[in-house]
Amino acid sequence: MQESNLNLLLIIFLVAIGTYTLRISGLLLSNKLKEIKNIDIFLESIPPTLLIALIVPSIIKEGLIGVIASLFIIIIMYKTKNTFLAMFIGVLIVALQRNGLLF
Amino acid sequence: MNNDIKDGFIANLPISVSVFSYGVVLGIICTSKAISFLELAFMNIFIFAGSAQFVIVDMLTTPINIVAIVSSALLINLRYFLITASLNTLFKDTSLKNRFFIIHFVTDESWAVTINRQKQKEVTTYFLLGGGLCIFITWFLGTTLGYFFGEFISNPKVFGLDFAFLALFTAIVTSMYKSKDDFLPFLLTAIIAIILEYYLNNMFYIILSAIFGSLFYVWRKNARE
Repeated sequence: MQESNLNLLLIIFLVAIGTYTLRISGLLLSNKLKEIKNIDIFLESIPPTLLIALIVPSIIKEGLIGVIASLFIIIIMYKTKNTFLAMFIGVLIVALQRNGLLF
Repeated sequence: MNNDIKDGFIANLPISVSVFSYGVVLGIICTSKAISFLELAFMNIFIFAGSAQFVIVDMLTTPINIVAIVSSALLINLRYFLITASLNTLFKDTSLKNRFFIIHFVTDESWAVTINRQKQKEVTTYFLLGGGLCIFITWFLGTTLGYFFGEFISNPKVFGLDFAFLALFTAIVTSMYKSKDDFLPFLLTAIIAIILEYYLNNMFYIILSAIFGSLFYVWRKNARE
């Protein structure tokens, strides 16, 4: 437990330094940045691809209900643009299924 | 100056409702991962980036893979490089000292609100700071409430709360889907992630799949033009 807490503090420290560096260097280096070919397109696409890589395997592991809940979230989000509503319905579907109220 | 901070603060209040809600969810998840309140507070103060904090907390499994967690969180935060790069003109008359201070409080939300306001009238860095402070305070309050509320929930799984993280990010990814051009890169990333997760025994599948997916995105965009 103690070791894992130290590890977490180290993680927080490194991510904090790294995140601050990213924030400040974007501002300070913005003129130089434009010279690298395709870097803007690459960086722009990183947030969605990273999130997809992060969540899709976990959703698959959740089983059929994970996939169904995710499809509902995507549809609601696409139609209403309401992140909170989409998230709420997704969690509700999983909760209902776990309590034997769906199938 | 003070009025600009106040304006920025007020302009960010509507979006801070959802920031508050995500904060509550993160706070609850933290209690289920045996994270202390002080550690959560450190994350809020020194990292102050919601999705990266979710990633860190979610990836905290035994054994802890520090390199994978740190690089995933930083890859998620790479966007801040672009976000603050786009603020170049807003900061052109700001002193270096103020730049170093204000830039820490830039979030997706306060950035978007500032860019939006810029289209209507002239804004200053203090407007951006006011927005950042609004998001900072509501984020801190949300995670705190979730943390102490979470201690009363003996089994968050019954309420599907462990799925909240996946639900939130599914919603966020959907909002990042801009056009049909995104479909193939997104799908390819998902397939690569499923395959790599199966064959690799560590969290590096996340970074590798993201890099492959984004390189494919760049390649397709170039091939098209």
